[in-house]
Amino acid sequence: MVNVSLKEKSATAPIAGDVPHKLVAQDVFVSYADNQALHGIDLEIPPQQVTALIGPSGCGKTTFLRCINRMNDLIPICKVTGKIELDGNDIYDKSVDVEVLRRHVGMVFQKPNPFPKSIYENVAYGPRIHGLAKSKADMDVIVEKSLVRAGLWDEVKDRLDQSGTSLSGGQQQRLCIARTIAIGPEVVLMDEPCSALDPIATARIEELIHDLKKRYTIVIVTHSMQQAARVSDLTAFFHLGNLVEKGETNQIFTNPIDTRTEAYITGRIG
Amino acid sequence: MTDTIHPLSRGALPGLTARYRKEKVFKHIGLVAILFSLSFLAILISGIVLKGYGAFLKTEVMIEITPELYDANKGSSFTLLRKATIANLPAVEGRKERRAAYGMIGEGSEELLAEMPPVTSTVQIWLPTSDLVDVAYKHDLAPEFTDILTDKQLVWLEGWIGEDRVRTRFNAGFLTNGDSRDPERAGIGGSFIGSIFTLLVCLLLSFGVGVAAAIYLEEFAPKNKMTTFLEVNINNLATVPSIIFGLLGLAVFLNVFGLPRSSSLVGGMVLSLMTLPTIIIASRVSLQAVPPSIREAALGVGASRVQMVFHHVLPLAMPGVLTGAILGMARALGETAPLIMIGMVAFIADVPGGFTEPATVLPVQVFLWSDSPERAFQEKTAGAIIVLLAFLLVMNLAAIIMRKKLEKKW
Repeated sequence: MVNVSLKEKSATAPIAGDVPHKLVAQDVFVSYADNQALHGIDLEIPPQQVTALIGPSGCGKTTFLRCINRMNDLIPICKVTGKIELDGNDIYDKSVDVEVLRRHVGMVFQKPNPFPKSIYENVAYGPRIHGLAKSKADMDVIVEKSLVRAGLWDEVKDRLDQSGTSLSGGQQQRLCIARTIAIGPEVVLMDEPCSALDPIATARIEELIHDLKKRYTIVIVTHSMQQAARVSDLTAFFHLGNLVEKGETNQIFTNPIDTRTEAYITGRIG
Repeated sequence: MTDTIHPLSRGALPGLTARYRKEKVFKHIGLVAILFSLSFLAILISGIVLKGYGAFLKTEVMIEITPELYDANKGSSFTLLRKATIANLPAVEGRKERRAAYGMIGEGSEELLAEMPPVTSTVQIWLPTSDLVDVAYKHDLAPEFTDILTDKQLVWLEGWIGEDRVRTRFNAGFLTNGDSRDPERAGIGGSFIGSIFTLLVCLLLSFGVGVAAAIYLEEFAPKNKMTTFLEVNINNLATVPSIIFGLLGLAVFLNVFGLPRSSSLVGGMVLSLMTLPTIIIASRVSLQAVPPSIREAALGVGASRVQMVFHHVLPLAMPGVLTGAILGMARALGETAPLIMIGMVAFIADVPGGFTEPATVLPVQVFLWSDSPERAFQEKTAGAIIVLLAFLLVMNLAAIIMRKKLEKKW
């Protein structure tokens, strides 16, 4: 297996060798100063599927998610050890450039956070800084394609110059999804993307997640077990910084092996 | 019937009446405090305006010049002025009276006469009066303003007024002239231009450096002992008395670097030392106020930190940064003490033409004039204060307008 660094790898590079998984985490430990947040996580995430990370508050699922695009680098006291591989390439390797990594691994945040700029600018910003569009026409195509894929095009096509913050909460979150996929990532991380939304907006996002998994590998953190059951193919249950159980969503929800998983999904802990 | 209390009325809950009373008292105290401070402001402003509006006016007197008089004194406008003054006053006798008569007319008149076209028939020309007459006339010959005139001068002035030969006009010279020992000729033009030059230097130096320092400290610097130490010292610098910065400027800019004394370049440098901490602190506060979610959003799509700062964070923080900068500038505009140390208190009669030429600034001009013994400088002082306040008002207005324009709706 050739270890190609992310620096040189193009967005459409084939999966190296016979590695069946998009992402592989091995022995991931994370600590915030003296506080150990994750105790050796091993998790494989297959391509073009939705993997849900569930667990009670403070169990480390968001911390793990943020390790995958190295958002934790921003926190000076945060220390990550272990290995996370994207297509067989260690993302914590010295030669990795986080900006390149984040082109491959996009992220949608808990609270919709569009830039206070126009809808068009919101989507076009990522492609522009990465030089993905050679002309204005190219950019128009990228913006339209991303908004169509995020299911927002029909609602905003006549007002692309309006501020992204003028949209409703659900629309803002779909705009954030459009912004994330505009740079052509392979993996989309979603950190409780529906926690600030009403049930109808939530349903739209869930449908969207279902559509998006044809193209992208999705890792979603959610507090709602129903949501995990509805949208995900695989589920990983975190508890107190440990990965307790992982497996097919059906199996986890109907026939959990670990008693803690069972206690959580039946509502006894959490 | 009468002593039943409605269960939802005020009386139903003991202590409620007292609570309302307290609320009312507090409201009234607040109102009184605001009225109190407003009345002080009103007294200050109206006092200055009443005292200073005269500085924008000058008193002129109509002098008749006959061709004979003109021809007899063709060579010298100085003698022409003197002769014409005597001719326009009734019965001037003796040397003492003649000297008193000359003192009625302002010094700028001589130049006016020199520029006058040849007189072929009797002409009437309006000439500025001396500052003594000017002050007395502007105050309607009130006794406390006429005691500087001799009795004869007062009689003459009353005579002129009776003949309707005295008027006041807008004094453009006050806004364009440099400083002068003559109250009639002294203007704030020099110090106004000096203030603008000084503030320009100050803004260019402190804005760039201050914002860059704030961005580095807020967005890039690691949080360790060194940055905490820096932070504490920046906060300390903001409270250092301004004259200390003047001493520093004297020791470093003038003595070590040998920059020109009294120049607006050095003045601006010294003031920028003083405004830097203000700008850094204001900029840091407004950078902190940008929600972290915007930073995450930018980094999440693969922006570098520099791109994150310059594309997203700084534009959102800009209204606050600019407000801080303008407030810092406003403080710099009103500063006198540090400029005393670098020689900007000198009497400078010329309007500065560049950053390295000797200059003074508005508050220093106020300080200089307030020290002058001539009574006419009293209203000049107040007039300069009016201009200074107007300058400040314009700057603060600019801050508000810029803030409103740049502020983004969330």
